[in-house]
Amino acid sequence: MNSAPKPESATSEVLLSISDVQKYYPIREGALQRVAGHVRAVDGVSFDIRRGETVGLVGESGCGKTTLGRVVSGLTDATGGAVHYNLDGTLSQIDHLQDLQARQFRRNCQMVFQDSFASLNPRHLVLDIVGRPLRVYNEASSGDLVERVVELLEQVGLGRQHLYRYPHQFSGGQRQRISIARALALNPEIIVLDEPTSALDVSVQAQILNLLNDLQAERNLAYLFVTHDLSVVRHMADRLVVMYLGKVCEAGETQSIFAAPHHPYTRALMAAKPDLDDDRAGENVKGLDGIVPDPARPPQGCRFHTRCEMATPVCGWEVDDVVRWLEDEPGMFEHLSGVERQSEFNAELAFDSEEAAAKLSMAIRSESVPAAMKSALKRLKLDGHKVDIEFEAVDEVQLTARDGGRLASCVLDPDEVAAKSQ
Amino acid sequence: MLDATQASENVASVRDLKVHFQSKRGVVHAVDGVSFDIQDGETLGLVGETGCGKSVTGRSFLRLLPVPPGILAGGAVSFRPHGPCTACEGAGCEACAKTGRRASGDQPVDLLSISLQDMRRIRGDRIAMIFQDPGKALNPTLTIGAQMSEVFLQHRTAELLDRAGLPPDTAGAVRRFAAQEPRFGDGLILKFPPKRGQRAKLQVALNQMVTEALAETQVPNPAKLMDRFPHELSGGMRQRVMIAQALACNPDLLIADEPTTALDVTVEARILELIRALQQRRKTSVLYISHDLSLVRRICDRVAVMYAGRIVEIGTTEDVFANPRHPYTRGLMAAVPTAGTARGKLAAIRGTVPELVDPPLECRFAGRCPYETATCRQNDPSLQPVSGGHSVACFIDHPTGSQDAPSFDRVTE
Ligand SMILES: Nc1ncnc2c1ncn2[C@@H]1O[C@H](COP(=O)(O)OP(=O)(O)O)[C@@H](O)[C@H]1O
Ligand SMILES: Nc1ncnc2c1ncn2[C@@H]1O[C@H](COP(=O)(O)OP(=O)(O)O)[C@@H](O)[C@H]1O
Ligand code: SF4
Ligand SMILES: [Mg+2]
Ligand SMILES: [Mg+2]
Ligand SMILES: [Zn+2]
Repeated sequence: MNSAPKPESATSEVLLSISDVQKYYPIREGALQRVAGHVRAVDGVSFDIRRGETVGLVGESGCGKTTLGRVVSGLTDATGGAVHYNLDGTLSQIDHLQDLQARQFRRNCQMVFQDSFASLNPRHLVLDIVGRPLRVYNEASSGDLVERVVELLEQVGLGRQHLYRYPHQFSGGQRQRISIARALALNPEIIVLDEPTSALDVSVQAQILNLLNDLQAERNLAYLFVTHDLSVVRHMADRLVVMYLGKVCEAGETQSIFAAPHHPYTRALMAAKPDLDDDRAGENVKGLDGIVPDPARPPQGCRFHTRCEMATPVCGWEVDDVVRWLEDEPGMFEHLSGVERQSEFNAELAFDSEEAAAKLSMAIRSESVPAAMKSALKRLKLDGHKVDIEFEAVDEVQLTARDGGRLASCVLDPDEVAAKSQ
Repeated sequence: MLDATQASENVASVRDLKVHFQSKRGVVHAVDGVSFDIQDGETLGLVGETGCGKSVTGRSFLRLLPVPPGILAGGAVSFRPHGPCTACEGAGCEACAKTGRRASGDQPVDLLSISLQDMRRIRGDRIAMIFQDPGKALNPTLTIGAQMSEVFLQHRTAELLDRAGLPPDTAGAVRRFAAQEPRFGDGLILKFPPKRGQRAKLQVALNQMVTEALAETQVPNPAKLMDRFPHELSGGMRQRVMIAQALACNPDLLIADEPTTALDVTVEARILELIRALQQRRKTSVLYISHDLSLVRRICDRVAVMYAGRIVEIGTTEDVFANPRHPYTRGLMAAVPTAGTARGKLAAIRGTVPELVDPPLECRFAGRCPYETATCRQNDPSLQPVSGGHSVACFIDHPTGSQDAPSFDRVTE
């Protein structure tokens, strides 16, 4: 597999470099727990994070954001690819680091989770929670531990009066402040924030976002900000990485992506949630049809082609699209008795009756399937109760570099995307 | 959107509703004197932060509150079910949006005082509710088809028998069996006693009605969906099934409590389109509960802003968003990041929603409000009109006469 190009990182120093990272989870089946396949949660993702910047990572639930965040912070091992950390000027692969160096990475890369209930031990006092990293890393003697913790609490807008309380005695916003104080304890260079405000009300979210911004300015922190909320990511991120089904579909400067998204998926995300102050709010809101395909069998070509309203004949139409179509068509799927695949693009579909086979071959020539899918058809042969289908084979659509350091993986050029969404 | 010139009957009126909870720390005034109307055919939004009492208010309509610890401490929720339209006598006219039915003033019922038996008849039939978590509304042990069937067996018996070509006198039997095990409609058909041929006809009619109801929510291949269990469906699909189930009986009022909060924005947008289209077609009134201001702005005709157990502002969506009069409404709107907001300069509301244990006599927002004065600490503002149809509970627009009235021009925090 050729590794994807990365967003440019010219100006300042690279802190973390993520290269072609993959994370596959085995799917086990049966009594013997045989591995029957893999969920391709993260499937070849590359980008850099520079010192002091915020990279936003967005996409629908299940696209692999949390998994990637855990790989980046060293909590989960990657299946393939690598994360390099800038260790005193040289980029070193994090899972090859030993002893002291591994320790140095771990203390410099912290994580804050969405669910502060689950991530804060309910039986520990705030003093112990925030003080623990200091103790583990021998950063504070028991004498000045309390003062160090008070200092940290004050930085996140809490205080001495909170030292001897348990997590459940705090509101959601306050618990998230405690998580942030803990993450700050070892004075890290980067914090991976996994949906840090998704469980909070907007009023409290605003407090936390302001706090994160102040801390970043004071300490030159880098953030990997994971969220599904575009308005939050636009507000916080210098650069943006948009993921779909384990892959990056667009990356670049936040402002320029919002001004002109190059990928139809990015555009769809934006169209689904207009701004509060957008006066045309009622009119142009559009959702997406269909569901996110199974990450164990990602679609060919462009992974988004199954839901994309701009899809062209070269976007990756395949046998699975016919099967998906059959599933949604009343009274058809029951008659499908077998699929014999030569490739992802070529298969013989067997039905339990000649009638059903004829019905399919008619339907595929009609208006009831997308026009792009019809055009991609190379061969359609009805033979008794079997239908032989072949689509034009295409390669996976790769990320391509565009002006201004932008990357996007769509066969359409940006002007076409803009024109088609009018 | 609703035509403002066309005066509507209210489908429901909440008056001075008070719901309290007994807790270790004292009595929690979760809903503390709430009054508002839902006009026939409108979508009324109910917004506010977590813990403000939105869900408790919504659940009060159907008395779906745990009692104890809940206490219905006072007030009334009067509901005017639809009857034949008086203007056109059911033929369909402008006034009833061609449905032939509208809220009738004849028989308002107080949902808080009717018998449990009457409440059960209204629940799911005249008033339906959908939730954030369809898990609560869908039975995990029944197929989608089985749980949808139950609704029709219970509430649309006559139509069902008519379609199946069965004599009306079997209605009693069908309903009796449906009522036996209200959560488990699965085995009902099998136990339906009359002749076997009738049972088959009934099943065919039932399947037809279920398929049609599912098709209305634009699920692909409804017939196939009927054999699936809830856990086999995606979140968006489960939400559609719950909506289909809620709307199966063509209710007069739908209470939607954050039904899209757990969904991705792309799916949320589709579900909202769907609710909006169904609502317009059937002229169902909707109470839409959400914490999401941009969503409420998009789909609601009017908005009520709730804070700490009270309605603090209510008006048309246009008025409230163009000219918010309550500091809380302004605070919520300013906290949402938009394209123009400078980083780190979001207008946060300080503090959090107070615990509502024995609230003192003062403005509930005092303590978080940037404009509060001594007046606000000594008096409790009530909801008063600022212009036709737009009301606010704040001393800024309704000073008490004392000198230190608060003002939007004077930040005091
Ligand atoms: N521990 C795990 N075992 C198996 N599959 C997993 C595991 N964690 C996540 N997945 C799968 O990987 C995909 C990506 O999940 P996740 O990273 O949580 O996405 P996101 O954070 O974007 O919602 C999903 O399909 C999810 O079901
Ligand atoms: N079952 C319950 N037991 C005790 N208190 C409750 C219960 N349900 C709600 N409350 C109280 O009522 C308040 C309002 O809750 P709710 O209506 O759920 O708020 P919202 O829907 O606006 O987030 C909560 O702060 C809580 O204190
Ligand atoms: S009454 Fe006073 S405290 Fe309450 S919202 Fe108005 S200005 Fe603020
Ligand atoms: Mg996640
Ligand atoms: Mg609620
Ligand atoms: Zn009429």
